[in-house]
Amino acid sequence: MSFVRAVALVLVLALVGCGEPAEYPAKDITIVIPMNSGGGFDTYVRALAPGFEQHLPGDANVLPKNLPGAGGRRGATEIFRSRPDGYTIGIFNMPGVLIPQLQGMPISYELSRVTWLATLGYDPYVYAVKGDSPLRSIEDVRALGRTVTYGATGPGSTQFVATNIINARLGIPYDVITGYEGSAGYLLGLIRGDFDVAMISFSAARTYLDSGDIRALAVFGTESDTPDIADAYDLGVPELAELRVVRVMGAPPDLPPDIRATIEAALLAAMDDANFRQWLESTGNEVHPANAVDTAVAVTKMTEFYDQFKDLLD
Amino acid sequence: MPELLLSAAQGLLAPGTLVFLFGGVVVGLVFGVIPGLGGTTALALLLPLTYGMEVGHAFAMAGGIMGAIAMGGSISAILLNAPGTGPSAATCLDGHPLAKQGRAADAIGAVATASPLGGLFGVLTFLIVLPVARDIVLLFGPPEFFLVAVFGIVTVAISASANLLRGLIAGGVGLMLSFVGYDTVHGGIRFTFGSDYLWDGIPLIPSLVGLFGMAEMIRLSIEGGTVAADAGAVRLDGVWSGIRATLKHWKIVIRGSITGTLIGAIPGVGGTVATFIAYSTTKKADRDPQSFGTGRIEGIIAPESANNAKDSGALMPTLAFGIPGSAEMAVFLGILMLHGMQPGPTIFAEHQQDIYGLILAITLSAVLASVIGISFVRWLAAITLVKGQILAPVVIAVSLVGVYAINLEPGDMVLASVIGVLGYLMLRFDYPRLPLVIALILGETAERGFQQSMMIGQGSWSIFFQSTTSIVLVALIVLSLCWSFVPYLRHRLAEREPTEAS
Repeated sequence: MSFVRAVALVLVLALVGCGEPAEYPAKDITIVIPMNSGGGFDTYVRALAPGFEQHLPGDANVLPKNLPGAGGRRGATEIFRSRPDGYTIGIFNMPGVLIPQLQGMPISYELSRVTWLATLGYDPYVYAVKGDSPLRSIEDVRALGRTVTYGATGPGSTQFVATNIINARLGIPYDVITGYEGSAGYLLGLIRGDFDVAMISFSAARTYLDSGDIRALAVFGTESDTPDIADAYDLGVPELAELRVVRVMGAPPDLPPDIRATIEAALLAAMDDANFRQWLESTGNEVHPANAVDTAVAVTKMTEFYDQFKDLLD
Repeated sequence: MPELLLSAAQGLLAPGTLVFLFGGVVVGLVFGVIPGLGGTTALALLLPLTYGMEVGHAFAMAGGIMGAIAMGGSISAILLNAPGTGPSAATCLDGHPLAKQGRAADAIGAVATASPLGGLFGVLTFLIVLPVARDIVLLFGPPEFFLVAVFGIVTVAISASANLLRGLIAGGVGLMLSFVGYDTVHGGIRFTFGSDYLWDGIPLIPSLVGLFGMAEMIRLSIEGGTVAADAGAVRLDGVWSGIRATLKHWKIVIRGSITGTLIGAIPGVGGTVATFIAYSTTKKADRDPQSFGTGRIEGIIAPESANNAKDSGALMPTLAFGIPGSAEMAVFLGILMLHGMQPGPTIFAEHQQDIYGLILAITLSAVLASVIGISFVRWLAAITLVKGQILAPVVIAVSLVGVYAINLEPGDMVLASVIGVLGYLMLRFDYPRLPLVIALILGETAERGFQQSMMIGQGSWSIFFQSTTSIVLVALIVLSLCWSFVPYLRHRLAEREPTEAS
């Protein structure tokens, strides 16, 4: 009897839930972070969350939730499968979650169907050697006349793929030593001299570049502002200028446009918020905001970009 | 340096900061006691709160948690054989037998003394080593990681020599379990049977909860009775004898602390291995190794002194390179980054005072946690008098909730239960669980280190003899193996000269 009553109650609640178009947001909003707490993606979301909460109408809370696992696929799946009601959104690591999709791995999300909300920013790749390395330019690397070794986390990681693409385009014979844990892991390997070169995201490399432990020979994903460091244009591979890690926010497919607009506006306002700007300033982090439409276009472009390198993904 | 240390101490002792420290201690104790939950979960839950805090307050709270976790975790290890945290699992081995004999209070007294002493030792080492922390971290590359892992497995294997074959079987099972999931070096997915859950491998904490806590509760339910076999023998006033025993065995405390600091500093190996190795070496060095596991107080002192010393060790790679020495440190990294402290070459110079504040907080917290632990000993020890049919369901339910809370992953509860049954079968048929745990933790480090070394050395084994560190490690491995034959040879000699032996 009580079971029947409970089921009836749930049904009634569900119907009430469907019926009201009311004000969004009416309850707490979860931001899924498909990584462990403490990483770059986590830090950005947590720093942004208070401002996002403030710029949303009403007084709903914003709750970041870490769902690490399966290289970010678990979190992406969770976002994709959630109800498109605006109460579950998340951050995506591009091209991290794109690569398994292109590789044809068994995944349960389609990035082309995700409702894109905004871009937080991107992280360029630094082509770096050990601080006291005699190598001064990519020409020097090529002139080594032997197989150049690179360090990377694992096959299929964004940085492994970037290493493959760059060497294929530059025509350098190379070998990748895989298995390092995170960017800090292969940074340490580079400083220790386990291998010759590593492709490192700029945010992870910054303090070590400043201290002189490592030295950049080239940069991809942004334009170089120093003559010592070449960029994709200098190297004659302009198609690689877009090679970078991008942090984008998205929601489940078929999110109603008015809710999407509300979230988009609040996210963009939060990135411009004085407190958040101050946090960026004090931590040396950067944002490169983009709106929902531009984000969707960028994701499509990125998919096309990596699709042409399909055979280099693993 | 002394002035900075002093002003860090003043900062910590300000009333506002003390509140955060004390709050951290209480949270740490509670999260430590509940099997499954631990420092990692506590820090992860509190991380968002630190966003609005001053650095000093955030560090006081984080330090409070890190220092108190060990005490909490070991209390449940002793009373219930359910380690509240990974590093406390080694304390089960002799702590729980003591509780069964009605001497839980002695055991808790020993923990309350050994763990802050170990913490203090670790902090002193940290302060001395701080200027060269970076160079120490750089000594360890893939070949060294492989050798450290082998050394860990060898140490444990020889200490379990009483039933060598069963030890090897358990170790083999542990190794196989450690290979489940994504191969981080070559990228294949192994032994997952198509399940997404197993992609990241067999998680350690749910396994430990199953292997010790759940297994013990299954045993208690089947055999009935209470944890303490003889209610009349329960001594609630043994805490002082536990404290005295620890002070008497100061050599074990120092050895455990050194082990904890050293091994704690090696990323990927970390706290749980540190306490198990401290236990195994003490057992091996003892005149009567066979009596370990039946309730020797030394079997608590050794891992407990390593348990708090490991935090100082783990801080080194975390701060110097942003490579977390333990799971807790991975979350702590997040707190650092939120406050704009980028781990790396300049952190010691730029944030020296904050770092001093943190290690002082960890030390003070360990002392506070001990005082709290000792003052509750009387009530805590009474748990061993609760009937199994009441205790077991409660402990199993709390453990499962704790395991679920780590990652909100239902699969973790299933895994803990399955491993729990395995653990019970191992108990029932007298297979040692220690080699399984160590192999499970070190299997991945060993495999990864080996494969990477082979790639770096282009397939040549000479890579394992190229650095001083690796030569020292090889020597240690060979020596420990030879050392393990000493009792056997002594026995043979005694047989040959029967007159002298009698």
